[in-house]
Amino acid sequence: MDLVRDCLDKQVVDRHGHKMGRVDGIVIEVGDGRQPNVLAIEVGSACQASRLHSRLVKMVKSISKWCGVVNHDPFRLPWSKIVCAEIEVIAGVEAEKTPALAWELWLRKNVIARFPLT
Amino acid sequence: MKKLLEISLGIVTSVGGFLEIGSISTAAQAGADFGFQLIWAILLGGLCIIFLVEQAGRLAAVSGHTLTSAIRERFGFNYFFILFIVLNLVTLLVLGAELGGVCVALELSSGIGFQWWAVPVALLVWLLIWKGTFGFIEKGVSILGLVTLSFIVGAFMMKPNWHSVIGGAVPSLPAHDKSHYWFVAVSILGASISPYLFFFYSAGAIEDHWTEDYIGVNRVIASTGMSFGSLISVAVLVLGALVFPPRGLHADHYSQLALLLQDALGHWGFILFVLSLGIACLGAALEITLEVAYFAAQGFGWNWSENQPPKKEARFSLTYTVVILLGALIVLTGIDPLKITIMSMALTAATLPLSIVPFLILMNDRNYLEEYTNGWLSNGVVILIILIAFVLAVVSIPLQILGGG
Repeated sequence: MDLVRDCLDKQVVDRHGHKMGRVDGIVIEVGDGRQPNVLAIEVGSACQASRLHSRLVKMVKSISKWCGVVNHDPFRLPWSKIVCAEIEVIAGVEAEKTPALAWELWLRKNVIARFPLT
Repeated sequence: MKKLLEISLGIVTSVGGFLEIGSISTAAQAGADFGFQLIWAILLGGLCIIFLVEQAGRLAAVSGHTLTSAIRERFGFNYFFILFIVLNLVTLLVLGAELGGVCVALELSSGIGFQWWAVPVALLVWLLIWKGTFGFIEKGVSILGLVTLSFIVGAFMMKPNWHSVIGGAVPSLPAHDKSHYWFVAVSILGASISPYLFFFYSAGAIEDHWTEDYIGVNRVIASTGMSFGSLISVAVLVLGALVFPPRGLHADHYSQLALLLQDALGHWGFILFVLSLGIACLGAALEITLEVAYFAAQGFGWNWSENQPPKKEARFSLTYTVVILLGALIVLTGIDPLKITIMSMALTAATLPLSIVPFLILMNDRNYLEEYTNGWLSNGVVILIILIAFVLAVVSIPLQILGGG
């Protein structure tokens, strides 16, 4: 598998097909004299920020902390729970029980639910 | 039979949804200042958008990816993010122009200043998206947009010199105001090759669950729908060329645009113009608002679909809500919507390379298109469009300064 072509930036869905972000980063362990080992994929705004500029990571994390919304940004999904399919990366988890949807759930509860005609 | 119905509905949707304030105002201004001489720009823009829309639809039908999604995957997060910022800043300005167009239509019919309509119109757009489905937005408003065919009726009733009209299809140099001529040409191209059109179209293909079976449907809808749409723009230009010069007008204020159909259709002409402007701009405002939300959601990997209740896709719903609010704020500044339109069309032209260059790579990638990659003709046209886009990007801002007034 070509990790960049077949995995990085792909849509991540949970076991029910619910969208939970994109593969914003890939965590690889590099040991002495051993083959590099893929440990996890990362999902979240902090990881996205790091791809733009390292200084932005701190800013994004501060905002998340200040809002009290995201505790684990970026959220890491173990490689063992990942299947790279044709269009999407399927994660063997429940999206709503992971921090990947923390912002979505926070906005749903605190903002959208308060709109009229919801 | 089902396919035939879908093709018919798709063509009707494309025709009804083609015209918006950008194409109306740039075509009217071209006619007012240069007669039939700029018809070629509309035809060239029409040809470009036919190919781009067809390719965006084909990509979605074969790969199951929207254009945004494919750009994020193939070009990475940084390219997506830059495109997201640049494209959507310009698109916000275009949204302000479209909302302004609806407000102007309401001002023309009520006499109440257009700024006063900004909040009610923004609320209407929000309500339609919040409660509506994709089919309702795409087909409902676009079918109402068929009222814009009245421009074609009007153009025929004005009995133009058809020999001169056809002559306008061949590019020629102006006898006066060269910088203004090229500025209007660039604005026409900016209005025709609007990135929101093909990004929205590819999202729509996914919303409508297109598969490889829809490649033929897509081709017919893109070519026929966009061709007829371009003909409506030509009709506006013809009307502009016949209506404004005898009055010494330059179509440089929105109130003048209301004259477009009056000579041909009298008081009904005024009513049909107001309806055309209002409905066309409302349709465009809905599509643009959704396109920005689609772009964000698809690029960042959020839940998105106009067919789901807002609660199930909070980030998507909040994005379009904020976008509508920002669009309304632009109208509330009280800047003449026509000026915003002309400026946003030139800026659209300036940013075109960013959104068009990816076509050349994506449409030749067998990972996405399998055996449906571009042939030599499609690639040739995309290369031509990219060249045009780079020229437009370089000249649009200087021309805005030199010839925009």
